[in-house]
Order: sequence, then C-alpha cells, then structure tokens
Amino acid sequence: MNVLNQHAEYQFAHELEELKKHDSGHRPPNWLMSPQSIVTYLMGGKLKNGFEVSPKYIGSRRLMEIAVATLTTERALLLYGLPGTAKSYVSEHLTAAVSGDSTLLIQGTAGTGEESIRYGWNYARLLAEGPTEGALVTTPVMRAMKEGKIVRVEELTRISADVQDTLITVLSEKSMPIPELNTEVQAIKGFNVIATANNRDKGVNELSAALKRRFNTVILPVPETAAEEADIVRRRVASLSKNLEIPAELPTLIEIQRVVKIFRELREGISDDGKVKIKTPSSTMSTAEAISVVNNGMALAAHFGNGKMSASDIAAGLIGAIVKDPVHDKIVWKEYLETVIKTREDWKDIYRACREIVI
Amino acid sequence: MSVNVLGIRHHGVGSARQVLKMLHKLKPDCILIEGPPEITEMLHYIGNQQLIPPVSIMVYDSDFPKTASFYPFNQFSPEWVAIKFAIQHHIPFRAIDLPANIYLHLKNNIEEEIQTEMQKSLDEDEVLVEESPDKLYLNDPMSELASCAGFSNTEDWWDYFFEQQNETSAEDHFEAVFTSISALREKNDKPDFFTAAREMYMRQEIRKAQNEMYENIAVICGAWHAPALMDLDQKAKGDDKMLKQLPKTKIKITCTWIPWTNERMAFHSGYGAGITSPGWYEHLWNTDKDVTIKWLVKVAGVFRSKDLDISSAHVIEATRLSEALAAMRNKQHPTLTELNEATLSVMCMGDLMLLNYINKYLTVADKIGKVPEDIPKVPLQEDFERTLKSLRLQLHPHEKLVDLDLRKDSDLQKSILFHRLSILEIRWANRTISRSKGTFKESWTYEWSPELMVALVDKAFLGNTLELAATAQVHQKLNASNHISVIAAYLDKVIPAELFLLIDPMLEKIHELSAISSDIVDLMKAIPPLAEVGRYGNVRKSDLQVIGLIVENLISKVNIGLVNGCYGLDEEHSTKLFELISILNDSIKLNSNKELIDEWFVALEQCLVKDQIHPIIVGCTTRLLLDANKFSEVEADTHFAHALSVGNEPMDVAFWLEGFLRGSGMILLYDDRLWNLVYNWVEGLNKSQFDDQLPFLRRSFSKFEFAERRQIGEKARKGIHLVENLKRDEDFEFDSEKGRIVLPILMKIMGVK
Repeated sequence: MNVLNQHAEYQFAHELEELKKHDSGHRPPNWLMSPQSIVTYLMGGKLKNGFEVSPKYIGSRRLMEIAVATLTTERALLLYGLPGTAKSYVSEHLTAAVSGDSTLLIQGTAGTGEESIRYGWNYARLLAEGPTEGALVTTPVMRAMKEGKIVRVEELTRISADVQDTLITVLSEKSMPIPELNTEVQAIKGFNVIATANNRDKGVNELSAALKRRFNTVILPVPETAAEEADIVRRRVASLSKNLEIPAELPTLIEIQRVVKIFRELREGISDDGKVKIKTPSSTMSTAEAISVVNNGMALAAHFGNGKMSASDIAAGLIGAIVKDPVHDKIVWKEYLETVIKTREDWKDIYRACREIVI
Repeated sequence: MSVNVLGIRHHGVGSARQVLKMLHKLKPDCILIEGPPEITEMLHYIGNQQLIPPVSIMVYDSDFPKTASFYPFNQFSPEWVAIKFAIQHHIPFRAIDLPANIYLHLKNNIEEEIQTEMQKSLDEDEVLVEESPDKLYLNDPMSELASCAGFSNTEDWWDYFFEQQNETSAEDHFEAVFTSISALREKNDKPDFFTAAREMYMRQEIRKAQNEMYENIAVICGAWHAPALMDLDQKAKGDDKMLKQLPKTKIKITCTWIPWTNERMAFHSGYGAGITSPGWYEHLWNTDKDVTIKWLVKVAGVFRSKDLDISSAHVIEATRLSEALAAMRNKQHPTLTELNEATLSVMCMGDLMLLNYINKYLTVADKIGKVPEDIPKVPLQEDFERTLKSLRLQLHPHEKLVDLDLRKDSDLQKSILFHRLSILEIRWANRTISRSKGTFKESWTYEWSPELMVALVDKAFLGNTLELAATAQVHQKLNASNHISVIAAYLDKVIPAELFLLIDPMLEKIHELSAISSDIVDLMKAIPPLAEVGRYGNVRKSDLQVIGLIVENLISKVNIGLVNGCYGLDEEHSTKLFELISILNDSIKLNSNKELIDEWFVALEQCLVKDQIHPIIVGCTTRLLLDANKFSEVEADTHFAHALSVGNEPMDVAFWLEGFLRGSGMILLYDDRLWNLVYNWVEGLNKSQFDDQLPFLRRSFSKFEFAERRQIGEKARKGIHLVENLKRDEDFEFDSEKGRIVLPILMKIMGVK
C-alpha cells in the first residue's frame, strides 16, 4: 500500500494474528482477544512460541491495565494529558487490538456538530422520501454501536459543550433514539468509546459533570526517565523513517539521548545534574516533538547532507521546536544555549551549529 | 506432647485470622509469643477495656531511658489476637524471646566498640531507636520467592499469598508458610549472632514449657524464625552451650504501655516489621463480607466530607473497575493497589492529589491509642497526664492550634504547662506567631508523637512533677553556664513557666556575673530578653521590679563599655555587633529612665568620633542618632559628607551605607541631601571600583522592600535632585501682606465665597 501512515491493524496485523492464536484468556464478547493479550500487545513481550511482540507504549504497565480494564466495564475511557504524550497513539492501538478496526473516528473541533456524532440527513432524499431509513446518514458512533466496536473521539474538549453532551445518552443508555423514525439504534456488546483530551490548551470546553461521570480517566504522563524517553524516540524514528523511506542512516543512540536531554531539561526547568536553573519555553516540549526534531534532522541529512545526521541537521529543527514565541522563547533558548550547552565539553558541535542559526 | 509453631507476619491481618482459627482448633494449654520475657506482665493488660490499640509496649533501661524498644500492637496484630484468646480462655502465656537486658547489654557493647573505633558521636537529642536484629523485612531474603512468582515487591507477594486467602485452612496456611521459609533458610542459613541467640533462647523457653508438663503448646513467632524452633531435642546440647556464653548483666528493665499512632505502625522497631497501610488492614480485619464495596463506600465518604461530589454510581463503577483489574491480574479479590487505581481513575479524574486524601484519612487513618490509668508509670508521666486531664487537653496525632488568653485562668495554666515542657525540651507544643497583638495572647500548635513519651520518661529522673523537673533542669543549666545572656534567656522562659523559686537565684547570679563580666557582647545580649521580662510582669501577676533595676544596671555598664567594645573589630564581629546595637536600641528606648537613654546616645556619639571603629557600626550609630533627633541639620550634613567623601576607601563607604540604611531605603527616598551625596559618590567611582563595590551595595540594597527598590531606581534615573531650585523658593523673602491682596480676586474667579 502506498499510504503515508497505515492503520495499526494493518501495520501490526502479524502481531495481532499471533496474539490471537496464543490467546488463552477469557475473551469479552465481540473482542478480538482477551484483555491480558491486549496489554501484551501494547506493552510488548514474548509469546509462548518465542514470537516477539514490539512495545507500542513505553511507560507504566499499570496505566495500560487500567485502560483495558475500563473497556471491559461499561464506562468509557478518557485519555488525558499534555500534547504529545501518545494519547491518540494509544487509543488507535487499543481500538485496533480490541475491535480490529481503528477507523471509526470522530475528530473533535470547535465546528463538530451534533450530526457528526448522532446522525445526519441526506437532504435530497429527505425531501423526496420524507424521513426514512434510507435518508439517514450514519456516523462512526452509530456504526460502532451497530457493529459492537469501539469508536474514538479525538480532542473531546474542543467540541462545544452542548454537542459533547449528546454522548451522554449514548454512554449511559447505550442506545441512540431516532425520534423522526420512531426507532432507535441499540448498541451491541463490544461497543465503547475512547476519547482523548489535552489539558494544556486554553479555551477548551470543560466536560460537564454528567459526562465526566461516564468516563474513567487515565492520565498519560510525560516519560519518567531519560532512558525511557530516548527509547520511545528511537523506536518511533525507526518506524517512521521506514514509512517515509528516508534514505539516511538511523541516528545513533547518543544523538537521540542528546535531543531528549535538551527537551527534558527545558521541560523541567532544571539541568540534568540539578545545578543550573533554566527558564521553560512556552511550548510543551513533548516527546512527540522530540521525535519530529530527529526525523527532520534525518531528512535534512538524507537530502542535503551526507546521509548521516550531524549536529547541524538537528539544530534547525531544535530551534524550530523550542522557539515558538519570538520574544520570550528566544531569551529562554539563548540562555539555555549559553549556560548549559556551551559548558558541555562534548557538545561543542551542537553549540556551534546552533550559534550559526540566527533567530 | 506437641509443639505447634505458627509462623506469622507481624501486624498481618491474614496471619491474625489464621492464628485465631488455629488456636480454636488446637485448644492449646500454653501459648508462647515472640518478645522479651519482661513484657509478659504487661501483656496481661490486653483485654482491659481501657487499653485501646494502637498501643505499644515500651521496654527501656531504667537508668538510661533513651534506649527504648517498642512492641506496637494493633487490634489485628496476631500476637494481640493470640493473647486475647489466651486471656479469654484462661490459658497461661508468656513471651519467650531473648531478655531485653541481655539484648541491650550486647548491643551496648557492640556500640561501644563502634564508638571507640570510629569516634562517632551520637546526637544526644534524638531518641535512639534501635535497629532490630530481625532481618526478615530488612534484608528481605523473601524477595527471591516474590520475584519467582512475578511480584515486584515482597509485601505484595506476601499479602497476596498469605494475607488475603481466607479460604485456605489454617493448617495448610501455616504449612505453606513453614515450607517456603524453610526453603529460603536452607539457602541463607547463616544467622548473625543476634538472631542465633534469640532463636536459641526461644528454643530453651519452649523446652522449659515442655518440662513444666504443658501438653499442647502453641508458639507464635515471626515466620522467619518458625523453622528454627523445630527439632528441639536435637538442638538442646548446642543451645546449652550457647546459653552459657550469654553475658550476665545488671541492666534493669522497665516496661510500660504507651499510646501509639497508626502512622508509627510503619516504624521498624522491636519486631522490625512495619506496615504501610494500617487503615486498610483495620478495614480487612473488621470486614467479613464485601470488602471491596465497603472500602469504596468509605472512600466516597471521605471525598464527600471534602465537598467533592461522588455519587453511588461512582462507587458502583469503581467496584467494577477494581474487579476487572483484579481479574486481569489473576487475583481473586482486588487488593489495595487495584482499589487505589480504580479510585484514581473513576473518582479523581486521574488526579493524584485527590488520592492523597484517601491515603491520609483511610489507608493510614492516623489515630492514637489509649492506655488505662492504672498502668505503672514513672511519677513524672503520671503528673503530666494528671495535668492534661485537669486542663482537658488531649493527645492528638494531628497538628492542632490553640489561642490562649492569659487573662483566663485555665488558659494561663495551659500556657504554663507548655512553657514547662519546652524548658524540659519535650517538644509537644510549639509557640507560633499570634494573630492578634497584645501580651496576653499566645498561640501554640501541638502534635503528639510517641517519641515524646520517651522524652518524658527520659526526664523522669529530674523530679516527680513537671514543676520540679523543669526547676531541676534550669538549675543544671545555670550551674553549667557563666554567660549572662544564657541566664537571661532562661529567665525569659522561667517566668512564663511560673517557676518562681528560680527567679531569685537567677537574678543573683546575673548580678554576680555582671559585676565581674567584661564581655560587652554578653551584656548586650542579656538586656533585650530581660527588658521583655519586665514587660511580662504585669500580665503574669508577679512582682518583677527587681528586674528593672538589674536592666538599668546592665545598661549603664554597656554605655560605659560600648566604645571600647567596638574598637578594632574585624568585619565579622562588627557585623554581629551592629545587629546587636540595633536590637539593643529598641529595648533601651522602652526604658523609662531618661538619664540612661541620654547616656546611651552619648555612648553612640563617642563611637562616631573614635578611630578604628568599623564603618558598619559608625553608619548604624549615625542613623540611630539621626532618628533620635540628636543631630542638628549642619551636624548631620557634616557626618554624611564625611562618610561619603571621595577620599574614603570605597569598601568602607559601602559598609557605612549598609549600617546606616539598616535594611530600609526610605530615608534615601525622602532625604534629598543624603540622596545627592550617595549619588555623587556612586558617580565618582571608576569602573573597577564600582565592580568591587557592587556585591556589597547589592547586599545592603537587597534587604529593601521591592517597592522601595523600584522607587529608588526611578529616582536614580532622574539623577541628582535639584535642591537648589527649591531652596531658592524657600529663601525668597515672602511678603505675606502683599500676597493677601490678591486673594479676594482669586476667590472670586474660583467661585469660593
């Protein structure tokens, strides 16, 4: 296939197949496999026949266990956290592993209307036939209910509050009334909702208490240790560069560790050894951004360099990721450059590369 | 004749349940538990209605109470359950561990060795809580078994296999514990001397019980020791030999019950086993059915009491989630881990802060136990409790704040109690800053912790009542000190503690010392607390006129010695003295004797003229004199100009400024003459001089309020203040007669009648 980003269920079809084969646990109705196997799929591990499952989420196993256990109860799952903490990634893989189909997706925006959550009408047919089943335009939520699958709602808090509330009946009654046809759609077993929301952006619509109560919340934290974060970046860079077919060598672990270190130091506002206090920039400095900095560097190296990522390839992306606000962030970055990067003996190359780029 | 060894986990609920089941089945005629024999007598109190857990037996050396060991019990401790059973069924019981005196003796010897070797000094103030010889949970040999079973920590593993499996029969349970520990000990069976000695002694005691013709003996001990207490006959010979090696000791041991707190259950002492979630264990112990639901209902209750809306639906969902999680992890029931995760996810929106409430109020559920009044105690402890009762004060494990109004008798008595305790260095109550002003108000916070009882017992040798003990304590300190300031500081504490017997000897001593003392700093330090005391007198209904005389006496001595005292000091001492002078000035101003105050200012003036006095002191005295209006304008001008003239060493000027400004920049803002002088001085510095000065100036300016600094900055931007213009206006001879002529017209224009 020639698509840029394959859905999880195709990309990891082989793993899912093996897991299904060796699944001995109890399988909830309409699920592809048992909750234990799903956790294995997310966290990675070795199957009985020696098959290696690659980790999708690197972090606390408990969080994934809570997330999967939530889906077995009748509550919906809300993944909450800073931008770039793998919320959408986890939700995609969860749906892929539970229902084998991660395409039932609603992208939440300020313009998302009720008709994209419940149902809409094909007005030509509505006028011609009046309200009939044929004139009804279904939504991912409705399809998921009919097929007993999991539907994803991305960026739930960006949807305006009154539209959010249409989810309440769906989540508590597990049915969607269609008064125009005097009928309803009832969810069959296996249906559930996974929503993601980020808690950083301003101007989001807080969930109403009634809706909140229908979600179990799992907060996805930023990676705990530098090693963990470097591992995440390394894995994601490797898989993305395969997808994008970038003709460059994979960066060394040391190079990745360096980028991760810069990101962590700026995020936490303190240098690695705890000695230097650092101002924090306005951007979130998420792991996802670290991944894209490395990717960017690789692309530069491949097309304009010698195919091997060097400090100067990283520098441009790094500054782009950090300096989002031209006034405040610029000061932050310059201070960091002079007080931290400059003092590190083996970081001379990156210091020089960053100095060359005038911002 | 049978001996049943029941290996338990101290404070393990599951262990306690199984022990109870087993005891019902065995119907033993003698029960032996782990613990030094000295506590046997104390154990008879278990079952007394007034002994409410958590409580602890405190075992200490009568001559040196600071080395105390504790044997804490909660209602779910297996030992507690066993003794309760014994008392109910009239079964004889005793504690069979190594006697505490031998143990302390051995430990002291070892400690002495260490001390001589390493010259290590122990911190006297801290209660020495001994480390237990029981290595079961410290070195954690069980972690091997736990990791085999796929658990990340031993506690979870033990909880899962041995604590929460109620369905297993008691025999199977103890069999399983025994087998697993035996397997472990085979691998690590090189017990250190302490453990070996303890196990040997326990075996001896079991044999003794056998010889007394008990037929059916139940031994309750930590699981780790269980295998060692088998095969009694084979080990008899070696044990006899070892018994003879044990030292003879003259240490006298005393035991008593003291209230304990749940928080302290986690404390490693005595048994060396702590638990981190006593509240959860208590819940498990008291709940037979629906443990999960009842726990989550309690959780909801806590949240509701904190004004967080939690509906029954939340509880239902949390129950489901915790059960789903337990099922995923192949557990029969949700454990505390699952319950916490479910609570976090369902009720707290993932917010860890909220879960802390649950930890505080439910999982630890801090509370304090009670002990009956008729338990033998040291007299001081009894007096303390009597006083508490009469004042209706209670021991709380949480911090509490009281405001006392000293005009009321009961409050005054409380204040006296707090002050006496603080003299005895028993830190139960701490003085905090009162919200309202006035000398009759005092605010205190108090928070009880079991160590305080140890401190109390430790001070018992000083006297039988708090009053006597506090008096003795002060006497000791008095004899040890030759500094007026130390005694004065104590006087400041003694008066609010109403230890009036002490006042006369203390004043005498001050008098005596001041006659011979030449240490001006000591005198200066003594005056402020004494002056404070003088003010207390009225509230405290005591006659303290004598103090007034002493203070005056001390002040005149200071007045005479001040100049010489300031002479030729280095920077460090000058800075100290500068602070003292400032404080002293405040106290002296309170004095009613005008002559003395004048003398004080004369002394200060002398400091100005004398050479070799550090500029920080000169600056300070200049300021004090200026504030007291002792300078004419011209004089002040001269002093400023002199101090700030360019010829001075820049460093000296910076110090002078620091002393002069005394942490407030107001004067710079309002006195333009001074401002201009400072401004010119700064401007006159060359770059290197300025760089040298910067740290010092920064130091003195950094103490200013933010607003002051900002205003100074604004003023500095305008540069020199042009006084000349203003001056000319002022100098201009104003003819008020002529001025008055225009007034009617002006009033007409402005419409003023």
